[in-house]
Amino acid sequence: MKKGKIAMTITIGIACFALVTVMMMQFKVVNETDITAIEDMQESELKTELANWKTRYEEIDAQYQEVTQRIEEYKNDEQSNNEASQLVQEELEQTNTLLGLTDVHGEGIVITLKSGEDITAISADDLLIIVNALKFAGAEAISINDERIVNTTDIVNILDGSFIKVNGQRILEPYVIKVIGNQSHMESAVTGNGGKVDELQTLGHTVTIEKDNDITIGKYNREIETKYIE
Amino acid sequence: MPNKKLISIILGVMCFALTLGIVIQVRTIQNTNSTIGQNQEANELRDEILRYKERYDNRFKELEEAEKKLEKEREEATQNDSELEQAQQKITEGNKLTGMTEVTGPGVIITLSDGTGISTSTLNPSQLIVHDIDVLSVVNELINAGAEAISINDQRWVLTTAISCRGNTIDINGERIGAPFVIKAIGLPEYLAGLERVGGYLEYMKRDGVGVTLEKSNSITIPKYSGVINFKYLQNVEE
Repeated sequence: MKKGKIAMTITIGIACFALVTVMMMQFKVVNETDITAIEDMQESELKTELANWKTRYEEIDAQYQEVTQRIEEYKNDEQSNNEASQLVQEELEQTNTLLGLTDVHGEGIVITLKSGEDITAISADDLLIIVNALKFAGAEAISINDERIVNTTDIVNILDGSFIKVNGQRILEPYVIKVIGNQSHMESAVTGNGGKVDELQTLGHTVTIEKDNDITIGKYNREIETKYIE
Repeated sequence: MPNKKLISIILGVMCFALTLGIVIQVRTIQNTNSTIGQNQEANELRDEILRYKERYDNRFKELEEAEKKLEKEREEATQNDSELEQAQQKITEGNKLTGMTEVTGPGVIITLSDGTGISTSTLNPSQLIVHDIDVLSVVNELINAGAEAISINDQRWVLTTAISCRGNTIDINGERIGAPFVIKAIGLPEYLAGLERVGGYLEYMKRDGVGVTLEKSNSITIPKYSGVINFKYLQNVEE
């Protein structure tokens, strides 16, 4: 009787131990799979990400080829005692285009905004958000009331929003935003559900969008000075 | 005798509970296993992404080297002609401003981090999070204060840079970055530090419970743009 009891206790003990061990192992596996699941992006997201990196690689590669070729051209000029002036002028023009120091033209859209009556006027933030959305959609040149948007352009409210300054220049309504880029991309960047233009229209402001196959945007007409960057 | 019965019942209940536990666990693992199976394809995609990232990184380094070499060639080619030399200097200066070369100088470093919500009684938890519009507003204010070069988590602010919200992260220059956002700006530190003024955007964010710090520095390095600006629709007007 006593012997049987001891044997039973031991058997039950072993069984319990085995069960608990199996459970522990299982818990561990579940924990681990959860971690990787969090780290995982969804497949469709991964595909977009891959396409993105492919494009980035191709762009940087093309740029590398261009720079390498240009180095060769400088070297050839040197060897044949040619003047490098044409090469330098080409490079300078490219730089000036990026700085916004050249007049440019191309297809795009013109957005005209006018504040509605008896409601809070269109603010600098609204314009900032529109410009940001246009850039995100691939805008190549933008101006607001003929003030060219360059990479050091600020759009701010002055005197609690009684007027707006772009590039330090006061601008008045109606606000005319000219943008060069793919017309349908530009339009869908600001319209549609959640687009800033739709939001402004719902609030009661007047916004019109016109497509134009040849918009001209004037250059940034100030000296660009740097004092602090080296 | 009733003692034995009680023990049997207890053991029975225990066994049942344990078995139930195991069954649940096995089921769970089976489910996750099936997602792991699906992830096989995702894993391959991830590998592919990493490969392209590596290729990109290598090419980018080579590009940086090549651009330095090009600058030298240009300098040599223009040194005997004052007009060309002037053009050469304009290109070099322009490249700094457009973000095509790395730059250093005095300035400020602003860090924006999502709030913990412990110290505030904000009703809307969304206020504690740094949004795309917050980063955009800070950049806009820095430019207004005279910043000459700006980066956000080492992504250079260039002509075509836009900031877009993507879930919990922000999309900038084609790359996805998350909080904390470290915004570096080169310019007169005293002016740039003016962003901390009462009534400014930084104070407004602080009030919302977002973590904001601003630090002045005598030497900040801001990297060159990680991408390429190509124009497809735009042409210069012929003079």
